[in-house]
Parts: sequence; structure tokens; C-alpha cells
Amino acid sequence: MLRTLLAKDLRRAWRNPVPWLISLGVPFVITALIGLAFGPASSGGGVGRIKLGLVDEDDSTLTRFLRGGLNQQEAGKYLEPHFLTRTEALAQINANKLAAVVIIPAGFTRDYLTANRPVKLELVKNPAQSIHPAMVEEMLATLVTGLNAISRNLQVDFPEWRTVFNGDQDTDLRTVGRLLENAGDRLHAARDYLPPLVTYGKETLPGQKSSWLGGGVVGGIFAYIQVGMAAMFLLFMADNAMRGLYREVRFHTLARFRTLHDGLGVFIAGKVIVALVIVAIGAVILLGGAALIFQFQWRHPGLLALLVIGYALFGAGLMGFIAALAGEERHADRLNNLAIMILALAGGCMFPPEQFGAFMRDHVTPLMPTGWFVLAARGLQFGGADPAWLGAVLKLGVLGLILIAASALLFRRRLEKGAR
Amino acid sequence: MPLLRADQLSKRYGELVAVDRVSLEVREGEIYGLLGPNGAGKTTTISMVCGLLKPDGGSVLIDGRDFWVNPQGARRIMGVVPQEVALYEELSGRENLEFWGRMAGLTSRDAHRRADELLAALSLADRARDQVKKYSGGMRRRINLGCALLHRPRLLLLDEPTVGIDPQARLNILEFIRGLVQGGTAILYTTHYLEEAETLCHRIGIIDHGRVLAEGTLPELQRRLGDARLFVMEGRFDGVAPDTWPGFHEQFHVIQQSERQLVVSAVGERDPADCLKQLLALPVQLENVTLKRPSLNDVFLQLTGRELRE
Repeated sequence: MLRTLLAKDLRRAWRNPVPWLISLGVPFVITALIGLAFGPASSGGGVGRIKLGLVDEDDSTLTRFLRGGLNQQEAGKYLEPHFLTRTEALAQINANKLAAVVIIPAGFTRDYLTANRPVKLELVKNPAQSIHPAMVEEMLATLVTGLNAISRNLQVDFPEWRTVFNGDQDTDLRTVGRLLENAGDRLHAARDYLPPLVTYGKETLPGQKSSWLGGGVVGGIFAYIQVGMAAMFLLFMADNAMRGLYREVRFHTLARFRTLHDGLGVFIAGKVIVALVIVAIGAVILLGGAALIFQFQWRHPGLLALLVIGYALFGAGLMGFIAALAGEERHADRLNNLAIMILALAGGCMFPPEQFGAFMRDHVTPLMPTGWFVLAARGLQFGGADPAWLGAVLKLGVLGLILIAASALLFRRRLEKGAR
Repeated sequence: MPLLRADQLSKRYGELVAVDRVSLEVREGEIYGLLGPNGAGKTTTISMVCGLLKPDGGSVLIDGRDFWVNPQGARRIMGVVPQEVALYEELSGRENLEFWGRMAGLTSRDAHRRADELLAALSLADRARDQVKKYSGGMRRRINLGCALLHRPRLLLLDEPTVGIDPQARLNILEFIRGLVQGGTAILYTTHYLEEAETLCHRIGIIDHGRVLAEGTLPELQRRLGDARLFVMEGRFDGVAPDTWPGFHEQFHVIQQSERQLVVSAVGERDPADCLKQLLALPVQLENVTLKRPSLNDVFLQLTGRELRE
């Protein structure tokens, strides 16, 4: 019977494909739009060059060296530095001409080379922008951490370096050579203990083209975002697929089915399978399409597919349950949207859960099925083969099955009481 | 033994009593018509009989067994034609028939063969491959009926199967239903069309506000009005109280009274001419008096105080 029900739904979808095409087209369009805006096809390459103001109030040899580095090769691809005074820089931020301003305060070089206290850089972010200032902040945090690490390890030679940078005596190339040799020896000795904090290198797998994003900061951000977006849109797709139930009620075909059969289990199972197929296709578009557009690879596609199936089961079960709970289609419409938005927000689909408040992060997000999916998918992508994926698949699958069974029972009871 | 026996069926939605202790029986080869206006409780009654709704009170026996003891067994001998057209519009007429046949438990081959038979019987063979959304209202109604017949049910529940279609299509459907009854099918038929109940049904139950007010064959129901004729008097009857006329109450029943019309039936078997003389002698100015045989509408009028068409 299940096969007959599925064949009927597929035939109906084939004869009237527009609603399904729209359902599948929305994530496709969203992925494509993000790709057009930020992908390699965009003129700036990725997210475009970040307009960054730099105010050098220290004006030392070291800071001039740092300033020079901003225009060099890799940095030059992503950054468009403007060297300004503090007043000019703040004025341009107010005029929304800069994403952020980095201020190197007076005494920066002294603090750094004496290593008496951690160095500080000031950052003024443009509140009217979101992504670029956040990226500058991340880069700056990395830079400062790196500078501190170097400072702690090369502290012994810093007095001599200071004299070199300050120009207190004529530059003695032998001294500089010795200092560089010392630095090289220390770094070499510590190479096994001081893995780089962040690498910007590109990894090209054998037989594959060099990727635009392969492990880079920008690629990481969009792969990271895409998982959250996909989690939310897949729920909307599950909702749309399960709307077949409402149509069956509205066109009285469910009532006719109930004149022939006692339970609704098979009928609901048919709709759930349709929802699984639709969500799986949606996942291929959202996740696979994103990987194509942003030119990165999902590290564990097989495990990710299992995770998607578990998530689809949950999504179909949730939407079926809401349909049964709400009773009327218009009530279910509101409930569905509300539930999806709450699950997406609290589950960390839109924002990294690490940035949530303690209560939310520790007590709410771990209970959210969206959180199970998103954290496991991100774990697979960014944290290696995280064993948490298996727990997430099981939890999502079991919860989905429970919701499906509950929705079948609830639906039947409501219909027997005369709900329409 | 009746194939369907509903006993004291009741259904309530909050304060509203949709069905109030309805009892009826349908035997093989019989059409039982449940006649009543919209909202009378016909569909709720049928929904309880076929298990779509659980009754708050009462019982349903199908072929002598309680429906809810073995609902699946009861459903196997029952076919239901809902009031609304319950079809998949994207599928063709044949596909709909075959799908519902499969849902009723037929094999693919049997469903195909039975669909052929029904398409021919319903005069839809030439449009079998067209999608239902391209069908006329009458054609949809015919397929809607056919979808309940795939598994050859012994008991057929028809909930206003001719609503909203043209007279010719209605005649076709009624003729088809007569053919089913000749084959021994028991039919519970709800309608608000008087002529359908009069011409099609063997027995009729008149239902209003959830209660069956009267039941019987058409002649039995007509006899409730005196087994004779009705006298329709036209004149000015506003402010008139017939009960105050001396001796009137013992001689006549008032069926209906309005400003311009008074309909009465004679008590007992009496000569119409005598009745006419008595009526003409009443202390009221009459413009016209006519005699007629009572119709089902008159019965309904007497039972409810209003016409079925209202």
C-alpha cells in the first residue's frame, strides 16, 4: 500500500511540478545569490577587499614594517588599507567609507620589544557593516596573539632588536645577522611545540584543482554559515512537503482513505517518505551546491548524508506533529514558522552558539535538534571526524520517529472528533 | 437482518447537538433516504456510520456486528461516497479508480479490470485518460461515485451525491444507483432534494436539527397527514386563530398558516365535499380553495413548521 501511495504522490508531483519546483528552487536561488555575492565570481574575489583604515600613532620602524605588510601579496588581496590620522579615520567610518579602523597606539613598539606587558591595538568597527568588521576583528586577534607568542619566545634578544629598530647605533649587519640566526634557531627548536595558531595556506589534494576556499578563513566562514542556513531551510522544505497532508484533508481524500482504513500510519509514512526525498534533494542543492559555488569540499560527505537523513526524519516528524497539534491549516502555518525560527535561532543556525549567553549556550542549545545537526555537521567539517555525529544521527532519527508516531495518533484522534 | 442498523446515534460539538438519538435500518436491496435541510445532521450521521466520527452515544451494527469491534471488517463491506468530490485532480479518472481500488485491497490487475467495468458503466470510458481537473461537474460526481464501488461493497453510503450538477447528469447517476440496488446493494442515501427521496428511496427518514422526526415509505409518511387530501385555502389569515373557531379543532389539522394561506387536512376518513362545505362556512374571507394530495414537502412542513426549501 505504501508503494501505491508513493506512486500516487510522485505521479501527482510529476503532473503538477510547480509547487515542488518552487520548494526546491528557493534554496537553490539563495545558494546562488550568496555565491554570486561572495563566491569567486564576485569581482573582489570572495568577500571583496576590506576597506581598512590604519592610524599609526607609534610611527616606529616596527609599525612601518607592519604597515608595509598590509600591502603585500596575500594581505593585499583581501585588504585595502588607508593610512590616516585618527580624526580622518573616524570621519570616514562615520561616512561608512571604511569597514574598520585599526589604531596602533603610541608606545606600541616599546611595549612589544620590552615584553613587559601584552601589546594592544585599538579597533574601531563600523556598526553599519557586519561581515568585514568581524573579519578584521578576527584577523587582528590572530595578529596580536601571534605577536605575543613571538615576544615571549624571543624576549632575550629584544633589547638588541630594540636598538636596531630605534636606530640608536649604526646598523651593524653582523648583529642583525646574528639576531636573525638566533631567532631561527629558537623557532627551529620549538617547531614541534609551537604549531602555528592559524595557517593561511591552501591545501590542494592530488588530482584536484586548487580551491578558492580550501581551508582558508573566508571559505571556512561560508561553509560554516551554509550549514546553519541549510538547517533552517531544510525545515522549511520539510514543512512544505508535509503540507501534502493538509491538501489531502482539504480535498477530502484523507477522509475517503479513512473510510477504507482504520489507522493513519501508512498514510503518514507515505508523506514522511516524500518529505525525506524532498529534504534530501534540498540538502544536495544547499550543501552540495554551496560546495561547488564556494569551491570547497565536504570532508565527510557520507556521514553528512546520514546526518541529513536523520535531520529530515526529525523535520518531517516535527511538521507532521505540528499539523496534528494545530488542527487547522492556518494555525499550523503560524506555528510552523514560529517553531522553525525559534529552533534556528536557539540551535545556532544563525549565530555561532559559542557567542550565546551562558544559559542559552549550556542549557538551551544542547536541547535543540537543530543544534544537534548544526554542531555535528560543523564538527565533521571543521573538527575532523567528530564522533558526535553518530549521537546526533541517532537522536534526530529517534526523535523523528517518535514525532511521526505521535502525529499519526494525534491526527487520528482529532479527525475522529470531527476536526477539519 | 438489516445490513446496517444505527441505534440511538448521538454526536455533540460543545453545546451544539449535531445528531440526537438517530436510529435507522437499511436492508439489502433497499435505498433508505435520509431527507433534511442543510445542517440537519445527515453528514454527521453518515460519518458516524462509516467510522469517520466516533459517536458520543449509540451504536452502529454492520451485518449484525458492532462497527467498532472490527472496524476494518466493517469497512470491507462498505463503500462511502462523500458529499464533496474526493479525487486527485492531477490524476486521470482511471488512475483515481485504480488507486482507490488498490486502497480498498484489490490487486493491481483486479483494480484495472474493475476500473474498466466502472468506466463503461458510468459512461466515462472515452474520457478515462483525461485528468479529473478537465472533467465537468457531472463527470467528477460519477467518478466520485465509482471510486467507492471498486471493491463491490454490499452497503453503500451516499452523501448527497448529486449536489451541484445539472439535471441530466443527476438522472444518469440516479439511474446508475437504481441498477446497484437491483443487484442487492443496500444504500443509505442522504439528500435535501424532495423529488430524489420521493422517486428513488424505498423508505425515508425525515431529519431536522439532528433528530429523525418521521420514518417510513412515502405512502406511510403521506398518511400522517390524514390519508386524504390537503385543503389549501387562500385569503387573509393574519391575526386569525383557527383553534378558536367552534368545532374546527375536532375536524381539521392545521398543516401550515401564513398571512395569505392556510393548509389543513381532514381528521379521519371524510368526504372531501363535506369538508369543503365546512371550510367555506368558516368566519373568514376566502379567495380560493384547492385540494391536493400531500407531498413529502407537506409532511416535512407538518413536522418542522417550515418548508424544506427554506
